[in-house]
Amino acid sequence: MLGVFVCQCGTNIAATVSTDRVVQAAKSMLGVVHAESIQYTCSDPGQRAIIDAIQQKGLTRVVMAGCSPRMHETTFRRAIGRAGMNPFMLEMVNIREQCSWIHSDIDEATEKAIDLVRKGVARVRRQKPLQAGSSPVTRRALVIGGGVAGIQAALDIADAGIPVTLVEKSSTIGGNMARLDKTFPSLDCSSCILTPRMVEVKQHENIKLMVNSEVEKVRGYIGNFEIDIRKKASCVIEENCTGCLICQEKCPSKAPDDFNVCAGESKAISIPFSQAVPLVASLRKEYCRLFIKGKCSVCQKVCPAGAIDYEQEDIVVTEKFGAVVVATGFGLYDWKQSYPTYGMGMYPDVINALKYERLLSASGPTGGRIERPSDGKEPRDIVFISCIGSRDESVGRPQCCSIGCMYMAKQAILTKEHIPDSQSYIFYIDVRAAGKGYDEFTRRAQTDFGAIYIRGRVGKIYPRGGKLVVMGTDTLAGDQVEIEADLVVLATGLTPAEGAGQLARRLNISTDGQGFMAEGHPKLKPVETNTGGVFLAGACQGPKDIPASVAQAGAAAAKVIGLLSQEELETSPMVAEVNQLKCAGCFKCRDVCPYGAVEAQDARDGQVAHVIASLCQGCGLCNVACPPGVISLKGYTDNQLIAEVVEVLR
Amino acid sequence: MTDYSYFPGCSLTSSAAEYDVSFRLVAAAFGIGLDELADWNCCGASPAPHHWGGELGILLPARNLHIAGAGHPSVVAPCAGCYNRLKYAQFELERNPELRERTGAALDEAVRYQTEVLNVIQLLNREIAPDDLSERVQRRLSGLRLGTYYGCVLVRPPEVVRYDDPNNPVKMEPLLNATGAATPHFPFKTECCGSYMGLAKKEIVLQASKRIIEVALECGIDALVTVCPLCHQNLDLRQSQINAAYGTDYHLPVLYFTQAIGLALGHSPAELGINTHKNADFGNWTLDVG
Amino acid sequence: MPKTEVKIIGFLCNWCSYAGADMAGTARMKQPASLRVVRLPCTGRVNPLLVLKAFREGADGVLVSGCHPGDCHYNEGNYYARRRMEVLERMLPALGIDPARFHYTWVSASEGAKWADVVNEFTRRVKQVI
Repeated sequence: MLGVFVCQCGTNIAATVSTDRVVQAAKSMLGVVHAESIQYTCSDPGQRAIIDAIQQKGLTRVVMAGCSPRMHETTFRRAIGRAGMNPFMLEMVNIREQCSWIHSDIDEATEKAIDLVRKGVARVRRQKPLQAGSSPVTRRALVIGGGVAGIQAALDIADAGIPVTLVEKSSTIGGNMARLDKTFPSLDCSSCILTPRMVEVKQHENIKLMVNSEVEKVRGYIGNFEIDIRKKASCVIEENCTGCLICQEKCPSKAPDDFNVCAGESKAISIPFSQAVPLVASLRKEYCRLFIKGKCSVCQKVCPAGAIDYEQEDIVVTEKFGAVVVATGFGLYDWKQSYPTYGMGMYPDVINALKYERLLSASGPTGGRIERPSDGKEPRDIVFISCIGSRDESVGRPQCCSIGCMYMAKQAILTKEHIPDSQSYIFYIDVRAAGKGYDEFTRRAQTDFGAIYIRGRVGKIYPRGGKLVVMGTDTLAGDQVEIEADLVVLATGLTPAEGAGQLARRLNISTDGQGFMAEGHPKLKPVETNTGGVFLAGACQGPKDIPASVAQAGAAAAKVIGLLSQEELETSPMVAEVNQLKCAGCFKCRDVCPYGAVEAQDARDGQVAHVIASLCQGCGLCNVACPPGVISLKGYTDNQLIAEVVEVLR
Repeated sequence: MTDYSYFPGCSLTSSAAEYDVSFRLVAAAFGIGLDELADWNCCGASPAPHHWGGELGILLPARNLHIAGAGHPSVVAPCAGCYNRLKYAQFELERNPELRERTGAALDEAVRYQTEVLNVIQLLNREIAPDDLSERVQRRLSGLRLGTYYGCVLVRPPEVVRYDDPNNPVKMEPLLNATGAATPHFPFKTECCGSYMGLAKKEIVLQASKRIIEVALECGIDALVTVCPLCHQNLDLRQSQINAAYGTDYHLPVLYFTQAIGLALGHSPAELGINTHKNADFGNWTLDVG
Repeated sequence: MPKTEVKIIGFLCNWCSYAGADMAGTARMKQPASLRVVRLPCTGRVNPLLVLKAFREGADGVLVSGCHPGDCHYNEGNYYARRRMEVLERMLPALGIDPARFHYTWVSASEGAKWADVVNEFTRRVKQVI
């Protein structure tokens, strides 16, 4: 008793596929007792029509021809479940994304749709009722990355009473936001709004903070992840260190100041900034005289807390989690090789905007005095150039960095506040200021703070008499411009954070063309990923500003809270199953199983294979590997697949 | 010993004769054979052919390519203008069968257009390994800061010439560094010199070339190195005109790429024709052998 | 009703290539109506015999596409697929099937444009040899 429902999806399908002809064709297919076309099957009246038909005609199997199963399979499983059917006696046939939307000839598209429906009918006829299993949920969440997004997600989850482990790769949380002087468009002091949140993380009873740590290995699945976290040796005993900074003062080994984007200099043992959380020193062996030359130990001698331990080793901690939030943030595009005409880094006074942010910041290396790197002089004429490594096809980076226009305006305003007789010039392509209060802000930069906006690109930067000549075009005036600048600030594009790709592979989530982590659906699953139980927050998913990151982090936290408030999770019943009467016990299935889901069971004549349903993820590798074909993936059996092939080619 | 067809073009037989002389000296030193094309004609770069419907700018170099097609597998054109025209003709002939037919009709036989076209940097990089050159240096150019000036048509348009990075060409550097010379960052290495505007509107050339020299001096450069006779003319010959027009006092030597290598190989400035240049004073840097 | 010129069976993994094909559809990237897709959890579920079955049933071409090596949703399923399909491809001439009618490739969920190219190009190729 099989019913076929053909969705018109308004005109999305009906404009290219004759749904009437598909219905007519379906009526003559084996086992079909009911076929109809519905304007919007997913709508409430649509679902009701399906339920009515099931109940009136006593349908036991349903084919839904409409959008992609990736879109609405769950919706329709629930619908037929409400009608009293087994939810898995459903086959969705994709006649929208993979048919009506990609063809224009009605006859061709209709013929294809009929083929696909025939295939779906053949398949669902061989479908058996399945019962979803269940697995217990580990009530603990992992948040990866301690920037503003990770902090927000961790706090929201922890506030709901769920234990959280927050893993941060560097020695302090805070991320890129901790480096900012002010935030647009309110000109809030960045540290003033962020540091209290950092402290909350440290003090929260439900949050376990692990700095200098990285996710190394991920096993398991939604509700039941088992994750190895490597805590790298920092040569400092975290519990003992009081953050007194004596070690940093006395340390004789200089090291680059990563936190200040190398605008200043740091030491081999250091605390990146005074509001760091935890306020604990870390030693970078690659710069330490003891580890390079074998002689020093000054920090150990001066430490009043006995916190220095040169023998410290990496620790790998294995913990169980029910859900993961990825909040690894962003890195900055390295412009030096792609923009050779900007000097390839030869001019110290051509810097990226994050470094400039550190020069503006009162907590920065210059104490908030703007000094240009070459000679420490205060600049007068400052040129900002937008879209470096973004919106630029010539370097293979077409996407918008989404924050450049705003922070250039902010930095121009702050520059004027720092140096009243300064002049900022901003080369832009378009001023993209779509957020709340954003456009007003960029206009204030021009009207109240005198920033000169020049629409065009910069072709070349070259030195002249201790200044830098910026050669560009003014496309509105149709003219070439040359500006003698004291300092050039580049608004470089955003890239995924270093190592994000590797982490994505470990978590089994996809990345987009630029390496940002891919959301489950661009519209409807903006914080989910293709891997159940793994959620995204902040710029790891794509360039975004602070409010958007915080909002996404809150959304991810809500998803995690919802997931972890369940005692048990439904698991897919589409798992492998062994016909033990025919199993010869060769265990080829066990060899190929990536999840260790096949075990040996004693039978009358030796051992046979058995699938542990709670471990099986339903990939079907075993199904192909089995020589006599007696292990079978439910929902994707050989019979079903062969029937699909035969029917679609009929 | 590898032999190449050689297309000198008009400049190397007249105003840039020293380029030809120095190129032949360097080639001989490394056993590179140069067979000058028989009966070659104008490369098509001068303004005149372009005014005659444009196509003469393709047909003239096409004939040269055709002649080269009967000789060695590769033809070298040291002048950047000649190189550019030969590449252009090849580019157009490759993609336009109808043009091939018309050219063939004019030549009375099917046009041969597939000979590999090389510029002088390409040829020397292929035949001379930097380490070899370094070993054979008689006069190490240590302390000399050379500004590599590629000009425009050697690397542009990139889809036609397909040679080096059009924004930041770097192919001269390895051999020059092998002579001991430094090649500091020079942001104007492809900036326009004013080209043939010297005939029609001299001010344009003076202004454009002045800026190139100005930036070179700002970058601490002792001499510019080029492969284009027209650039050389604008930068060297017209330097006195620049000084007169702007009240400057520039005396920046401008060498051909082959002259710089010739110097390193121990040839005297006179042998290489450097004495014919208007600006040949290297300041503190001495030209003594040893 | 006119018959579609060629019929190609596509075996696509659910996580990457099927999603990539959906993405091409969402972006309205036009493709020939030659392809009929069979959705599977993983290319590791594609039995080479299933490919041969499709040829025997009259398919003009067979296309197998999954996640890029290293990106398999099940960690290693596509490695098995790669080995199996590589051997199958080499066996086809012995069975009298032009290997140009078979193609296996990798298309990720974000490569909608690539997917459209694959379908266009493979259809063109199959038409040439049929």
